[in-house]
Formats: sequence, C-alpha cells, structure tokens
Amino acid sequence: MKNNLTLTIGWLYPELMNIYGDRGNIIVLQKRCQWRNIKTEVLRLDVGFAKEILEKCDILLMGGAQDKQQEAVAKDIFAKAKELKTTIEKGIPGIYVCGAYQMLGNFYKEANGNKIEGLGIFDLYTESPGQSKPRLIGNMVEYCEKLNYTLVGFENHGGRTYLGKNIQPFARTTKGFGNNGVDKSEGAIYKNSIGTYLHGPLLPKNPLLADHLIKQALEIKYKTKIPLKKLDDTLENQARIAIAKRLSVAI
Amino acid sequence: MINILIILFGKTFSFLSKRFNLGHGSTWPGHIALKLNPNFTNQILNKSKTEVILVTGTNGKTTTAKLLQTILETNGKKVILNDSGANLLNGIASTIILNSKLNGNLEADFAIFEVDENTLPQVTKTITPNYIIALDLFRDQLDRYGEIDTIARKWKDAYKSLKNTQFILNADDPQIAFLGNGLTTAHYFGLDSKGNNIEEHAADSLLCPKCANRLTFKTHYFSHLGDWSCAKCGLKRPNREINADLFLPLRGTYAIYDIQAAALLAKLTGLTTEQINQGLKNFRPAFGRQEIIKIEDKNIQLFLSKNPTSFNESLRTIAGNNAANLLIVLNDRIPDGTDVSWIWDIDFESLIKKNMNLYLAGDRVYDLALRIKYSDVNILEENIFENLSEAIGKGMLETKANETFYILPTYSAMLETRKIITGKKIL
Repeated sequence: MKNNLTLTIGWLYPELMNIYGDRGNIIVLQKRCQWRNIKTEVLRLDVGFAKEILEKCDILLMGGAQDKQQEAVAKDIFAKAKELKTTIEKGIPGIYVCGAYQMLGNFYKEANGNKIEGLGIFDLYTESPGQSKPRLIGNMVEYCEKLNYTLVGFENHGGRTYLGKNIQPFARTTKGFGNNGVDKSEGAIYKNSIGTYLHGPLLPKNPLLADHLIKQALEIKYKTKIPLKKLDDTLENQARIAIAKRLSVAI
Repeated sequence: MINILIILFGKTFSFLSKRFNLGHGSTWPGHIALKLNPNFTNQILNKSKTEVILVTGTNGKTTTAKLLQTILETNGKKVILNDSGANLLNGIASTIILNSKLNGNLEADFAIFEVDENTLPQVTKTITPNYIIALDLFRDQLDRYGEIDTIARKWKDAYKSLKNTQFILNADDPQIAFLGNGLTTAHYFGLDSKGNNIEEHAADSLLCPKCANRLTFKTHYFSHLGDWSCAKCGLKRPNREINADLFLPLRGTYAIYDIQAAALLAKLTGLTTEQINQGLKNFRPAFGRQEIIKIEDKNIQLFLSKNPTSFNESLRTIAGNNAANLLIVLNDRIPDGTDVSWIWDIDFESLIKKNMNLYLAGDRVYDLALRIKYSDVNILEENIFENLSEAIGKGMLETKANETFYILPTYSAMLETRKIITGKKIL
C-alpha cells in the first residue's frame, strides 16, 4: 500500500446540523484512516462556505438538526445545490442522516399541507403525519444487501419518507420502523451517496460501512483499488451484538 | 368540603402505604385528588399564604431546589418540596395533601416544585407561581423531550400569561434570557468569570432566539453559555445581578449557576447576603449530585451526568481534583434517555487524564467503551464491566486510603450505584 495516501472529509454544517452525535461519524472515519496511515483533513463547511470547496472533498457527511437550524442551512445549501448535485452525481461517497436525508429529497410536506421544496437530488419525498401520530423512535437493526451487512443503530424521526422510481432503498428493516413504518425500506442509496435515518451515530457500530466509504473514496481519488489493512474490531462487534441481542436478532 | 375529604383520604392512604410498604405512596393521593377535584391544587394554594417557586431547566434543578430550601429553612421559613417523579401534577398535589391541615390550610411559607422542561407549560396552567427559576436549556433526551427550540417556544407562550410572577433567568443562556424579553418582572443571574474562547462540541443554541442569525460570543463559559450578542437584530445578554460574595458549597462551573440562581431568589424574598451565606454553609448535596459517601477510610463521590454538557463539566471538575480512579456508568433506560448517541459529543479527548484508572459499566458499556477507544484513551479490557457491582468493587480496591473514587453515572445508573454502595454489596 502506498504510504502517502490522503483523504479530505467535507463535514457539511457541523455547527448547526449535529444533533445526533454526528461528530462520531467524523471521528470514526478519521481514526480508521489514521490507524492505517492514511492522512485525513476535515473541512468544516458551515453556513457561508465557498462552494468550490466541494470539489476538493473525497467524502461528504451531513447530519440532522432542529427546525430553526434546518431553515438556516436550507437557505445556504440551496445556493450551492448545483455544485452539491455535481459532486453526488460524480460518485463522491457521502452519508446524509435524518434531516440531511430529507433535505436531499424532492420535498417535505408539512402536516398542514404546506410543501417545503427539497434539493431534488434524491428521488423521494417526506411527509409529516402531524402531532397526533407518534415519532418513530428506538433501537433498530437493518440489512443492507449491497454490503451484505447488518447495520445497527437508533432512529428518531417524525417525517415519513417515500421513495420514487429512480432510487433504491439503502436497507431493509429487521427491527424498527425505517422510512415510513410501513414498507420496511430504510434510507436510500443513489450512486455512492447514502441517505438514512439510522444514527447512534451510524459509523462507530457499523465499521464495515465506514471502511466501505474509505475504500470508495480512495478508489475514486487514486483511480485504483487499494486494499485496507484489517483492524481489530472486537469492541465494535461487542457493541453491535449487545444491541442485536436486545432486539432478539442474530447477527 | 370535597378538599377536606381528599386530604383526609390522602393522608390515610399515604400512612397505610408507608406502613405496609405498598409503594406509590408519593403520587397516588395526588392522582386520586385530581380525579375527584381537578382544581384541588390551585384551590388550596390560592387559599394559603404559601409562596410557590417553580424550578426548571435541563441541568441543575434538583441542586438549585435543595440550595434554596436550605437557605430558606436556615432563616426560619417552613418549606415544602415535591418528589420529582414521572407524573408531576400528581406529585405536586400529593405534596400539598401531606402538608395540609384537615381544614385545607397549607402549612408552609414556601413550596418549591421542581418541574421538568416538558411539563412546565402544563403546570403553569394549573398553578400561578410567585417565582420561576429557569436555569438553562441543553439538548437532553431528544427521544423524550424533543428539540430545545420547541421547548423554548412553549415556555415563552406559558410565561406570557403570568403577569405577577417574578422570573429568575440565566442571562448567559440565549434561549433562557430571551424568555425575559419584554417582561418587567425578569431578574437575571449569570457567571462572573473570564470564560474562554473555546467552542465545545456540545454547543446547542448558537442562533439568535429572536431572528435566527448566528450569535457572536465575546466569551464562552461552557457549551452555549457566555457573553453573547446578535449583530443583526441587536439582541444581547441582559444585565445581570451577580453576587460576588457568596459562599460556594459546591465545585464546578454549573454549580455556581445554581448557587447564583438560588441566592438571587432568596434576595428577592428579602434575605441579606449574610443570611444567604449562613444557608449555603448548611448545604449538603442532593442525592448523587457531587454527593460524598464514606466507606471506611475511602470516599466515593457521585457526579450525576445526564447530557454532553453536564458530562463535560463533571469530567472537568473530576480532572481538576486529580482523580486517580474514575468509573463511568452509561444506562439507556427511560430516565436516562434511550438514545446514547450524545456520548460522541462529550470531549473525552481532552478531559480524561492519561494517568487515571478508568472503569466502564452500564447497560451500554460497549457503546461507551467504543467512544473511549476512538478518543485515543487507553481502556483496558479488564476494566470494561457488564456487572456494575464488580466495577465498583474493582475501583474501590484500587482506591488508596483517604482517597476518593469518582463515579460518573447517568440517572438510573446513579440510583443503581447508590443502592449497591449503601447496601454495602461491594464489601
């Protein structure tokens, strides 16, 4: 393996979109690179960042937020919609959790029928069921066929998301609610970008997914497959199994 | 008439339930009372001279209520306090029943009710308090309480109808300070400190509560508390009434907020600094809040920690005490919050000293261990415990005579830890 590998991680709106411990995803990517002698640089892309920076990013991450914060971010991100779309279409791997996932869709329909426009990069929409319906909350387990991997985590969302024709679900729920609590789909995958409701945060307890992102990013950047050194994931697996056991799922 | 029956029945019920150890003694009389007469609480309170104080906020409610109780009692006042429990209105009604005479007269100068963030609007619909202390609003248990902006909005609506209530508000917390905007009965406390310019990862409220512009901070004390202002709409931290001459019975930045808040309210009731300090000197920490439990020649000190902010502050205080042995216990039961993702917002990287023996336990011990692993702090496999008693036993064994074993638990973990220690199961 080459010795001077570097990856640039673009963290979209860390200051405002960070409510579900999303910082954990960044830490996990950084550490799993560091332990393999891959240098990382994390760019904090807060409101007002220069859109050209997106071209420099090898991986993108964006988390969830409260309504007010989300409105502030929406204003900023709409001005960069074209550049973000180009980056995603190019196949730059990314994880978009909860609020970020919804924002990439076509629209968000509020309980009163009011439609908030989305970025339209993911062919999906989200509906608020109103105050009378419960939020979808709890530990969950899901299976991702593409990775042949069972993911564990926590979901907490009011909105129900429905996928369009031009996008695939990221995973199937084994235990938990998923996109809408009805069709067993969870998240969405388009090119190398993953939208999901799974946090906890997502990457610490799903190290295979973290490594998958790193591999994809390296392959795109260096235009060749670069094998990753195996790491000791004993603790990661113990944490995964603890949750699966509690939900009576074998993994 | 009905209220007399309710009080008679409630007292009898409570006596029997204690006598025969039936449990639920603290909220059932209230439950029945409100079923029989939904206006029971305000009828009794309106008739009495008791002044009602509500204490709310994410961190520090219990400590502030206890500080205030001690200050007022030291100065000859009769004070009643509610058991903070799952069903608050029932708990409040029960407290009133147990402290009333049969003729419905409440025998207390002050009633202090600890009210959690979400139930405050409900409580102020029933009770018109003389004082409300609002300490802070941090992200806490998103799975149960929802987002802090929603809570702040509900509070602001609730406060509007309280024309004769004195508000004691934290000026350093933008969301809390804004609650007093436009009120003539608002008093502000805060921290008299130089602070620092480091932004923590746990910062929650960085947007202006009035116009949603990004706030500017001249100094940060911790999380989003500090000297803030909005460049767009001009909203800024209000002037504070800080008492620099207070005796401090607790350590740590957030404890100082609790002390300043309690002292400011005590001053509004007419007490002097000297009288307040006499009370502060009599103060003993509440259950698990920096509480020290002595076991033979060693001390155990409990630092209840419920969210990234209180965790960071507890770790900072513990590191400042040069702790040699620290146990962290993470549970994910309803009172702790079932989502543990917030542990990734704790700054373990800078707050765990390399020479500290660290032990981990709790329902989510492996999530905790994973978080620690990724903060580059070395955690020994034999110090990760699925069994809490064993973890406490090991920590006690490693703690030298006359030294302190520090334990940092979440809420249910604190109760469990206390049971093990006071039940002497470890010995």
